[in-house]
Amino acid sequence: MQALSRPSNPARLGALAALAVALWLPAGAALAQAAQSLKLQVNGMVCSFCAQGIEKRLKAMPETGPVFIDLRNKVVAVEPRPGQTLNAERVAGEVREAGYEVVATETVAQTVAQIRAGTRATRQER
Amino acid sequence: MSKPVLSGRLQRLGAAAVSGLTLFASTAALALPMASEGSFMAMVDLHSAGERDAAVNYAVTGRDALGVMATRWHEPVLHAGVHARKHERESVGLTYTRLVHRWNLPHAQANLWFVGVVGQARGHGWAGSRGFWSPAVMADYETTRLYAGAGVEPKRGSGLRHDITWVRAGFSFYEVDYEQVQPWFIVESRRTRITSGSRDEVTPMLRLIHRGLFVELGRNREGTQFNLMWAY
Repeated sequence: MQALSRPSNPARLGALAALAVALWLPAGAALAQAAQSLKLQVNGMVCSFCAQGIEKRLKAMPETGPVFIDLRNKVVAVEPRPGQTLNAERVAGEVREAGYEVVATETVAQTVAQIRAGTRATRQER
Repeated sequence: MSKPVLSGRLQRLGAAAVSGLTLFASTAALALPMASEGSFMAMVDLHSAGERDAAVNYAVTGRDALGVMATRWHEPVLHAGVHARKHERESVGLTYTRLVHRWNLPHAQANLWFVGVVGQARGHGWAGSRGFWSPAVMADYETTRLYAGAGVEPKRGSGLRHDITWVRAGFSFYEVDYEQVQPWFIVESRRTRITSGSRDEVTPMLRLIHRGLFVELGRNREGTQFNLMWAY
C-alpha cells in the first residue's frame, strides 16, 4: 500500500501511469460514445409555443434524453438516453410532424448540457 | 335572458367549458389559435367594459383542433338615433380550427388559419335562442422579435350580426432563451360591426410569453383588456 501511495522511482511511476490509462480508456470511450448528440437546424421555430410542441414530441420518444432548444439560432439539440442511440431521420421526422422544416442535421460529440453551456458562453462573448 | 334557452348536449358542452375556465374569452385577440398535436389550448379574453370570451380546444392532429367557446358581449341599442342602452348577448358554440397553411422560413413563421364556429346565442330582446355560424380567417407572421397578424371573424344568425376585424403588430424588447419570459409590446386595432352600427378600438398591450403561457394586458378608451392563453 505504501509503495502504491508513494511511488519511489520513475519506473514505478511509469507503470502506474500505464495502468491508469489502461483502466481509463474503456470508460473514456464509453463516455465519448454517450456524448453523441444530434443537432437540427429548424426553419419556422420562432416562438416558445413552437418550441414547446417540438419538445413535447421529442420527449415522447423512448430513446430521447435531454433536449435543448435554442430559439435564437433555430437549433434543436437532442441527446439519447443512456444505452440508446438516436436515428437522425426519425428525430427529424418528429420535428416535421410538429409542423416545422428541418433543413440540416448534425451529430456532435457533445452532451446537451455542453451544447447549452457553449451556446450561452458564445452569447456572453458577444 | 333570464330563462335557460340552451338545451341538450350543446348546453352541457358549454357548461363544461365555462366551468373549467370560470371566465369567458375571445380568440380574436390571440396569436396562435391551437396548440401542438395531442395538446389542449385554453383561451380567456376579458374586457372591463363587459366583453368576455372563453375557448378551449384539443388538437386532434397537428393541423386540426376541436373545441368549444363561449362569448358574452353588449350591443348598443339605437333609440331616437342615439345608442341609448345596451343589450347583453351570450353565445356558446362548437369550434373547428384548421391550420390551412404554414410557411416555415429561416428566421420567421407565417400561418393561415380557419376557425369555424356553430352554436346558439341568446340575449335581451330575443325570444329564445337562435343559431349562429362564424367562419373566421386569420393570418400571422412572426419572428423572434416581430409580430403581425390580422383576422376577420363574422358571426351571423337570424337577426344577429357581430363581426370583428382586427389587425395587430408589435415587437419584443429583446430575444430570450426558451426557458425565459419574453416581453412584447403589441398594438391592436379592432373594428366590431353589429346590427346597429360599429365600434373602433385601438389597444396598446404588454404581452408576456413563457413556454406555453401567454398573457396580455392592455388599455383603451373603454377600459382594460386582459388576455390569457395556455397550451398544455
